[in-house]
Amino acid sequence: MVGVNGLRPRTAPRGTVRVVDPHPLNWLYLTYNTVEEPVRVSRGGKIRPAAMRRFRWVDRQTLELHFRRERFADGTALDARSFHRAVTEQLRWQAPHPPGTQFNLDRRTRVEVVDDETARLHLPEVDGLVLGKLRATHIMTEHFWRDLGFGYAQGRPGEGHW
Amino acid sequence: MIDAPGPWASGAFVLVEGHSVVHTERVATDGEDCTWLQTEDRSPTVRLHANPHHWNQRRGPRLAEVEFRNDLTSAEALDLVCDGIGEVDLVTEVPAAAARRVQQSRHARLVSVAAVRVLAGVLDREAEGLPLHDGRARRALNLAIDRAALVREAFDGHAAPLHGLTPPTPLTALHRFPGRLRGYPHDRVAARRLWAAAGGASRALRLAAFEGWEAAADVVAAQLRESLDLVVEVGVLDRDQQYEARRRLAEQGSGDWDVLLLDHGSQSADVPPVELHRAFVGRSGEFRAGPVDPRFEQLFARLRAQTSQLRQVLAANRIDRHVTREASALFLVAPRSLYAVNRHVRFLPYATSFELADTSVRRRHWSRRRRSRRPGRDEGQATA
Repeated sequence: MVGVNGLRPRTAPRGTVRVVDPHPLNWLYLTYNTVEEPVRVSRGGKIRPAAMRRFRWVDRQTLELHFRRERFADGTALDARSFHRAVTEQLRWQAPHPPGTQFNLDRRTRVEVVDDETARLHLPEVDGLVLGKLRATHIMTEHFWRDLGFGYAQGRPGEGHW
Repeated sequence: MIDAPGPWASGAFVLVEGHSVVHTERVATDGEDCTWLQTEDRSPTVRLHANPHHWNQRRGPRLAEVEFRNDLTSAEALDLVCDGIGEVDLVTEVPAAAARRVQQSRHARLVSVAAVRVLAGVLDREAEGLPLHDGRARRALNLAIDRAALVREAFDGHAAPLHGLTPPTPLTALHRFPGRLRGYPHDRVAARRLWAAAGGASRALRLAAFEGWEAAADVVAAQLRESLDLVVEVGVLDRDQQYEARRRLAEQGSGDWDVLLLDHGSQSADVPPVELHRAFVGRSGEFRAGPVDPRFEQLFARLRAQTSQLRQVLAANRIDRHVTREASALFLVAPRSLYAVNRHVRFLPYATSFELADTSVRRRHWSRRRRSRRPGRDEGQATA
């Protein structure tokens, strides 16, 4: 059987790889390897659904996201509420993303949980780039937001620390 | 960024040891828009374990453990992956000058990918004594560059000529639709004519480059000297100087250079202008070294207004054509990302990031043969 990208379905994880990565974005690559966002980027560079199963534009200012029922690494559930929390936490800050404000969601954006699997982003104005910006919306466990957060545990704000 | 280990999310791996973060300093670029200057802070080791709950089992994780070693320099890491087994399996950001060494190694192979990144020159349009405010002069600089020679001489073939600011990867083919975007040919006659028409230079041109791009800077300088009869002084900025240069650029201040060579990437290939063209030309661009371009802002607003992917591609193409026509930067090459990888590691590179979910090790890999020991360099050589 051939799976995604022509790869065979996974067997149990095996072996260790030792990596030296001098790239200045190593901090971000660690995030991408351990965290999911609504979308990810394929090997070729194409934006693809990740934590969300699919999306659709309800109208030009409303993006509907459908999530699969999956689990975080601690066994707790990841659903539309997790996305709601991730967006809400992000919108608390003026410039959370280290690369810059180009990844900002408009702070007037409202997120609505329709049901466990469905959430809607209500944008204050048309933003066709929002799908790419969701690559920077890290979906984290409730324990993360409570115990660590993006800089919160050190008493810092989330500015420039997402 | 993740400050501490824990089962915080749902990715393919879980951070179980160490940290790799950046300390950030805010620099306003335009009104409330800003960028962050970054200083790295890494623990000597960062360890990831496979996430047993990850839903996408076809993708991965296929590795039980990933160990990032931050206790080695790039040169030491390259020695270890090329000459031994077990200490280092994968090195990223291999310089083109080291590619042949990897290719000739017994233990490593070279993996490369057409990355969504560019090496381009920021042009200081307000430089005194040079006509860089004039589009004819900027076009002259672009016409003076022999990109094929640059790829050959500075990158040993591991780069592609850049036309505009959209890197040529398979996914950006439509963005660069033939006939719609024409890059600058190498044309010394036209370059000299345009340079003279713009007034020429009353002093030497100062060409600076971020560390790692010295070879490219030398070739570019030689081509500018030859094509335009210019005096070109080359300088290389170390880490501290780069930090300061980024700050001055973002604050719209002047630097100690007229042309600054730097590389910049995009996190996706869908809409390259969001990160590339915006950075070099946009109102909030962290590399913009000149006045705001109202036409660019208008085109960027149109891009943002598109929710259809096809229309976004067309809007991106319009931006690229405008930036190319205006010669808003010195378009050079799209360097390939090069990796040195142990021969028993099946690594699949990404065009925009570094992810290991679908990387695996073969049965003969050291970690599957000897679980309890960490083989050394000499042992690795002896048993390979």
